[in-house]
Amino acid sequence: MKKIFYSFALLAFATFAHAQVERGNLLIKNGTVLTVTKGTFENTDVLVKDGKISQIGKNIAAPAGVKVIDATGQFVMPGIIDAHSHAGLDAINEATSPVTAEVFTGDVLNPFQVALYRALGGGVTTIHAMHGSANAIGGQCETIKLRYGVKDGDGLRMEGAPRTIKFALGENPTRVHGGGSSIVPRTRMGVEFVIRESFSKAKEYMEAWDKYNKAKTQKGFRGTPPAYNLRLETLAEILKGNIIIHCHSYRADEINMLLNVCKDYGVKRLVFQHVNEGFKVAPELAKYGAMASVFADWWAYKFEVYYSTAYNAAILTRNGVVTSINSDDAELMRHLYHEAAKTQKYGNLSDDEALALITLNPAKQLGIDARVGSLEVGKEADIAIFNAHPLSSYTIPMITVVDGMVRFDREKDADDVRLYVDPTQAVDIATIQGGEQEDHCMEGAEDAFGKLFGLN
Amino acid sequence: MKSIYLKHLFTAMVLVLGLGMPTLLRAQEERTLGPVSGTYAITNVTVIQAPGRKLDMGTVVIKNGIITAVGKGIAVPPEAIVIKGDSLFVYAGFIDGLSRTGVIKPKEETKEKVKDPGNPPPDRAGITPQNDVRNFLSPTDKTVEDLRALGFTTAQVVPYGGMLPGNAAVVSLGGKSADEMVLASKTALYSEFTTAERIYPATVLGVMAKYRELYRQAAQAKSYESLYASNRTGLERPSPDRILEAFYPVIDKREPVLFKTEKILDVQRAITLQTDLGFSLIAANVKEGWDVLPKIKSGNVKVFLSLDLPEEKKEEKKDDKKDVKKEEKAKPDPEKEKLEKRKAEFVTLYAAQPTAFQKAGVPFGFSTLTAKTKDIPANLRRMIKEGLTEDQALAALTTNAAQILGMSDRLGSIDNGKIANLVITRKSYFNEKAQVRYVFVDGVVYKYDAKEEKKADGKKVDVSGTWSYSTETPQGANTGKLKLKKQGDTYSGTITSQYAEKEVDLKTVSLDNNQLTFSYSLQVEGNTINVDAAVTVDADTFEGSVTAGQYGSFPTKGTKDPNR
Repeated sequence: MKKIFYSFALLAFATFAHAQVERGNLLIKNGTVLTVTKGTFENTDVLVKDGKISQIGKNIAAPAGVKVIDATGQFVMPGIIDAHSHAGLDAINEATSPVTAEVFTGDVLNPFQVALYRALGGGVTTIHAMHGSANAIGGQCETIKLRYGVKDGDGLRMEGAPRTIKFALGENPTRVHGGGSSIVPRTRMGVEFVIRESFSKAKEYMEAWDKYNKAKTQKGFRGTPPAYNLRLETLAEILKGNIIIHCHSYRADEINMLLNVCKDYGVKRLVFQHVNEGFKVAPELAKYGAMASVFADWWAYKFEVYYSTAYNAAILTRNGVVTSINSDDAELMRHLYHEAAKTQKYGNLSDDEALALITLNPAKQLGIDARVGSLEVGKEADIAIFNAHPLSSYTIPMITVVDGMVRFDREKDADDVRLYVDPTQAVDIATIQGGEQEDHCMEGAEDAFGKLFGLN
Repeated sequence: MKSIYLKHLFTAMVLVLGLGMPTLLRAQEERTLGPVSGTYAITNVTVIQAPGRKLDMGTVVIKNGIITAVGKGIAVPPEAIVIKGDSLFVYAGFIDGLSRTGVIKPKEETKEKVKDPGNPPPDRAGITPQNDVRNFLSPTDKTVEDLRALGFTTAQVVPYGGMLPGNAAVVSLGGKSADEMVLASKTALYSEFTTAERIYPATVLGVMAKYRELYRQAAQAKSYESLYASNRTGLERPSPDRILEAFYPVIDKREPVLFKTEKILDVQRAITLQTDLGFSLIAANVKEGWDVLPKIKSGNVKVFLSLDLPEEKKEEKKDDKKDVKKEEKAKPDPEKEKLEKRKAEFVTLYAAQPTAFQKAGVPFGFSTLTAKTKDIPANLRRMIKEGLTEDQALAALTTNAAQILGMSDRLGSIDNGKIANLVITRKSYFNEKAQVRYVFVDGVVYKYDAKEEKKADGKKVDVSGTWSYSTETPQGANTGKLKLKKQGDTYSGTITSQYAEKEVDLKTVSLDNNQLTFSYSLQVEGNTINVDAAVTVDADTFEGSVTAGQYGSFPTKGTKDPNR
């Protein structure tokens, strides 16, 4: 039995062996290099070798055969990272149960969504493709790189990125399950109960397996193994610290609640998403080591987000909370640099602080900051080139590089970048705002339960 | 059993003839013999024994459902019914790798609402892997007759259902009872990425997770059962579970998983599950597989490609007289033109899929699951036009399919000892003007009349007026009125249906000699169902079939209401 149990764990990783990542070589010449961590350097070159940054300096000679990008007068920054997106997914909410820890957005990656290319057009290189917020404990999420052009979902995965999972508090889970199906949770108290009960069951499950596996090592042991359960299996991994929680939340009281629950169960890796009232509990978040991924200035779309401020990101940052600005939206994702710039108007953050909100900090929240999020030798060559400072209102993203491969080039931006065309769909010229895809936390849940308000 | 059955064959044939089945051979007309026997000889025929093995002016003898002799100058047994094969071609019967031919859809009962959508009963969630398609077979279903008329003699069929509908079987497209149809049972565990409605799994997220969990639970239960069997004393009794038990032969690799994977992402997801869980995979009804070929190859995935192709854009008819505003109309929208061009490129890619597989060295069969039966020969020709050779197409229809199903000892070629499944055509099968004249299924012959070349006789059929129709569906007869109006040379009309509250406008109506086709859409429980009807009009009656989206094809009849 033990063997089988371990082989499951091994097989879970076997899928990723398929992915063959294309890595490129590049020399970006003579740009203003915004490293985010090590300062800003003018007239500086960035050399990329086999998908990684191998040198940053002046007057680097181009190795033979390496593509050279002239960035004179342009700004070179780390690729933007969006810690909250639902792009690139065929399904977002398995909204049928308050707990669906076993489902995994990595199973439903869709590399053909043009939204991914459009995000590249906004300098984005990595996104956290999340499960929605219909359930108190939603599905596991996948961190993907925007290698638009690959035709296999596996080719998008950021191989080796830590596992993450979506939680959700407040109106969404209570509305979907309490309101929609008349089951727990109907209230915020119910949400806490659902999470505590899940952790408690997972703990029992984990202990039962530990006990069984220990007993199995004794000679002549005969006994019945605990019944395999993928949901509890996943929840147990959270308790073991192998999965980072990303929790949809707005109100200070519920944020505090989850901090307490996690404290009780020894869960340390915790990122709050949206967290509109984060500014009220910033010291508590900092003390716990919990992080926050917020909107720059998006609120009042439902009751629980009326108490909000555009100073949220700045207040959190000043209190020592690792903070990022996310999009949760395919359109907003294309100009996260504007969103970051708003923190200079509302909160006077420095350039590096503002840029970190969309680069290094989301990387930290996804556990990938050793690999991406700043321009440093040895890091992966995910790079965005702008024609003006990225925090300027007038800036335009020009070139976006992922793993040293140019995945977006404004000069070569084709009219039709679809990788697959539906041969049964009638050709219709797009009109203004014609059924554009909208990615939301509540997608799927909306369809299933006919609710029309409150999308985030 | 077999010989008893064959003794009664003649009686059965007469009976069936008496019931008005149009297809049985009237052997006496060919050559007068004594009592009809189970022996047939097809003489002087071009025998395509298998792809690349052609025999001119050969003879094929079959006896009691088995091929007993193939060759030149073979003595015709005296008891044989002779079919003169001059100018005819004979092929091994075609094999369909995945369809619901002859499979009855269970009646949909109104079910009570599931209280906890996160924990539905398995059958409501679409989890019925313990089902066996043999319980849903009907040899008299019209789909059997339709597919057989194209030369298909064998099909791997599957039950209706959700993500795990049940066990597949390989059946003959003939026979008098469900059991008589079955050549092999439990040939595969059939799976789809079909979600449940508003209950878990409502998305493909849930389907993937549930599939993994069930499989691993089954592996655990199986292992515990064998532990228990080895020494029961002191161990808790394993609790039997038919759902998990259905996976046991899959875990042992005695049964493959047959996954309906039409889109490229479906194929990739099925391979993800295969990699995670380790089963043998047959990807079936594949429509977009060309970009996954390396994975299909490395995963040793077996493949049935879909015979369903997207429609080609019809050439617009040039009508100079009518187009007064020709100049205006002719002004092309460059954006639209580019989009149309890309779409056309993709339509071509679909038709070129078999060629891509052939080039990659991945053997494949074909499946008809979603194909419109009447389009299949034309779709095969489109595939050939995109580079597939006729031999390769034939291999997919016969030898390769038999190989994938593990039944090459019985099916796929015209060789001694194989099951007498044959298709006999005038002209090569892949010729546009080919006609299927005889089909042998398990040694039973079905005859098809030679179709006359269509001649436009001055008197055109006029179908305008009100028709009363009745369509036989598994839910019972659906009756209604079909109203057709003629304006100039074109028809328009409306139809009533028990599935629609109001009259529905027909989307298309066309009449070609006496062949009337029309289509419309129904809204059933929020789903749009596209219905296509094709009927043959004979004065004031018509007969034919309607195809209701994925729900299958049903026989329909109509009579014209008298004019008042």
